[in-house]
Amino acid sequence: MNAAAPAVTPSATAVVVRRTIAAAPAELFDAWLDAEALAIWMRPDGIRHTSAKADARVGGRYEIIMQGDEKTYPHHGVYRVIDRPRRLVFTWISHGTEGCETLVTVDFLPAGQRTEVVVTHEQLPEAARESHTKGWTSGLGRLDDFGSRSAAS
Amino acid sequence: MGEYKTAKLDAVFSALGDPTRRAILARLQTSDARVTDLAGDFPISLNSVSKHIRMLERAGLLRRSVTGRDHLLSLNAKPMAEAAAWMEHYRSFWENRLAALETYVLDKKRKRK
Repeated sequence: MNAAAPAVTPSATAVVVRRTIAAAPAELFDAWLDAEALAIWMRPDGIRHTSAKADARVGGRYEIIMQGDEKTYPHHGVYRVIDRPRRLVFTWISHGTEGCETLVTVDFLPAGQRTEVVVTHEQLPEAARESHTKGWTSGLGRLDDFGSRSAAS
Repeated sequence: MGEYKTAKLDAVFSALGDPTRRAILARLQTSDARVTDLAGDFPISLNSVSKHIRMLERAGLLRRSVTGRDHLLSLNAKPMAEAAAWMEHYRSFWENRLAALETYVLDKKRKRK
């Protein structure tokens, strides 16, 4: 349009959290896609038990159910990008998002012997949601166009 | 109930995702303004200022009071506080999860040795 055309800047609307961990990118990456691992580290304070399922392929669904003392908190979503061991992108739907689809991108950046893990959690603007759906149905299961698909996010 | 709130939060994030709209909000933080005042303050057309204002109104970030021909805009910060609360919730959630991920992976490495 013109200079005032909307450009969604993640900084204003996304949560970005980083942590540098003394492990290789692949070790950390795999812990995000392994149901047994998720059940262990996806257990926040106040949660007695977490169970997880992960269909670790692009388009596959995951489910993380956190069991509190009184309430159960289900989380689920679909893997959008699985670029081992660099980048993982999945949708995230939970009570915290009030059932709304949000997007989580995890980047694994080598830092010497360690790895910086960067989690970016954002709300999907309506426009992005549409383009995701389109990119999705056209390239389903194709493993070699990760790059282009992640550029759409 | 949840759905209404979510739609709202979505609109807030979309509205805040644009630098011009953020600048409009910052401008209204100092004082209320008429639409024409805002158009004068920004190097864009009255038409695009109006579009930005509509998006901000839809997100509940602006209030408009009409006196005769004057439309006076004022800031409503409440939805922003809700968006900030959402972000704070997830910031703390992911910080704690990454700490737990570290513990998990380091434990696993130790056990392997």
